[in-house]
Amino acid sequence: MSDCSGGSCSSCSSCGSSDDPDRLPPGMLKVYDLNQSTADGVLVWIETEGFGEDLRMADVSAELLGAARGLSDGRVFGVVFGGQEVKALYPRIFGYGVDTLYHVRERDLEVYRPEGYASCIVSLIKRIEPATVLIGATSRGRELAPRIASELGTGLTADCTGLTADGRRIVMTRPAFGGNLVADIECLRFPQMATVRPGTFPMPEARDGTGTAIYWQFSGGLSKEIMFEETVTESGEDIRDARILISLGDGIRDRSLIDVAESVARKVGGMVSCSRSLVEKGWMPRSRQVGMSGRTVAPEVYIAFGISGAVQHRAGISGAHKVIAVNSDPDAPIHHYADLSLIADAGDILREMDRALRGSRSGKQ
Amino acid sequence: MRFAVAVKQVPDTMEMSVDENGSLVRAGVPSILNPYDEYALTRMLEMRSEGDEVIVFTMGPPQARDALVKCLELGADEAYLITDRAFAGADVWATARALTAFILKFVPDADLYVFGRQAIDGDTGQVPYEVAAQLGVQQFAYTEELTRDGDGFIAVQDYGDTRRTCRVPRGSVVSFGAVDPNGSLPTISGYLRARGMEVREVDRVAIGLGVYSVGLKGSMTKIVSTRTSSGSRRNRKVEINDPAVGAGFIVKELEAVR
Repeated sequence: MSDCSGGSCSSCSSCGSSDDPDRLPPGMLKVYDLNQSTADGVLVWIETEGFGEDLRMADVSAELLGAARGLSDGRVFGVVFGGQEVKALYPRIFGYGVDTLYHVRERDLEVYRPEGYASCIVSLIKRIEPATVLIGATSRGRELAPRIASELGTGLTADCTGLTADGRRIVMTRPAFGGNLVADIECLRFPQMATVRPGTFPMPEARDGTGTAIYWQFSGGLSKEIMFEETVTESGEDIRDARILISLGDGIRDRSLIDVAESVARKVGGMVSCSRSLVEKGWMPRSRQVGMSGRTVAPEVYIAFGISGAVQHRAGISGAHKVIAVNSDPDAPIHHYADLSLIADAGDILREMDRALRGSRSGKQ
Repeated sequence: MRFAVAVKQVPDTMEMSVDENGSLVRAGVPSILNPYDEYALTRMLEMRSEGDEVIVFTMGPPQARDALVKCLELGADEAYLITDRAFAGADVWATARALTAFILKFVPDADLYVFGRQAIDGDTGQVPYEVAAQLGVQQFAYTEELTRDGDGFIAVQDYGDTRRTCRVPRGSVVSFGAVDPNGSLPTISGYLRARGMEVREVDRVAIGLGVYSVGLKGSMTKIVSTRTSSGSRRNRKVEINDPAVGAGFIVKELEAVR
């Protein structure tokens, strides 16, 4: 081959002619894009909650599995961590449409460890080459996903509120600037990764199914020394499940109004939530906080009492079906954002509601 | 010990308002030190004992120097501004890559790399963990309490449904979960001390990254389009003089759902 000089020889045709750039080696009908990835399908991390007999799948994982089928023509993969007890979830997982489930049963990874989980999922991604990796935007998912993306060197869109498929490409929609803007984002590499907010997709119908489960073996990854762990049991109810939210903010100056609000919430079948300031005053538990640093809620009706409506708070209620604002300040930003704004003192309205509802109930009896 | 704290300068979203069309008014909004980062910094300053050093660094435009000056006034010992025109438009990956390159070059020996939970403008909250993965160290998210323990530290993390206590080896990434709503004000002596200190500038070449590794070109995601979120709210405004009437309005709305 030493006398092969720039394609001018005729001894072989492997290098092509310099004056004919389209000429290809025999048998090769077109120029293949060698950088084209062969990735296909969707991988979902199935997050589990609780322990032992009480083990269940996180709602957002079920929602993502339900949506994955519609986002891809390829296969739907699931990865789940845990021991024997996870087997009880198999029928439900397959019922949601998983073709192949990878079950990691390593003893080190039975408890959530972000470093080990990430390295393990990376090893799995390299094996199955999914086009898309979806993870629920829960407190664990939001720290696990970036770890995976970073180890793979791929892009990640956080906190998506919508996904649309364009072939195997996914356009990811996420709110920006406190929900005032919506951005459509594409990942430039496979696998494309996203964390998705709970409630973005509907809960799929629960039914049992069958499929292939594979025990995925993995060793390595950084270990982590967890000294102890305690379950935090605040009120069992979750404001994210409430259909009606009575939400209190800085305009609530009198602590007794929280009891009034609780009473109103009980009568209408709703729950009491709050903005950040009341959590910081220590009047309400953090689990009731709505907003960017709290929870994202999507009730039928959200009633904001004395909440000014900073962007951080509005970001938490963008999914609400109807927003009613009560604030004595006519210039409060919440008034631009509500379906119905009442310019009135929040406490007066709350007390009056409590009274009116009591009246209507006793009238029926 | 040496603590390296990553900070960001952000527009003060608390000061942002919406106009009649529901779009964001950004003009004239002041820039501040991200409150989550400020909280993380103050926690580290509280932990500092004799002989410890607190180093702050930020990636941003030249005017992000103001945020670093605030950190120095609060008591930080050293400040680095990672700035270069090529850094513009960086996504999470490109940001983490630049920060990691900086850390490896300038503060490779820090005992902790400390972050705030998220920036109030971007709100992705992912940079700390991407940096941790690139450094190959453990990450401690949503940290509530951090105490010294022998050669290392002990962190209490709040995952919402569980609270876990972990041993933190030196060189780990710690991100604090909370924020101080009132912020912190520098003392006069801190203010005077900071006047004699300089912010060191570091550019792309100094951290040893190529143009295709940083900024928009080094990003793994691309914003295809943005639009204002549909202002589908009806926006009916009523001034209420009699609370009973107002309560009636709401009760009527609620009856429609029940």
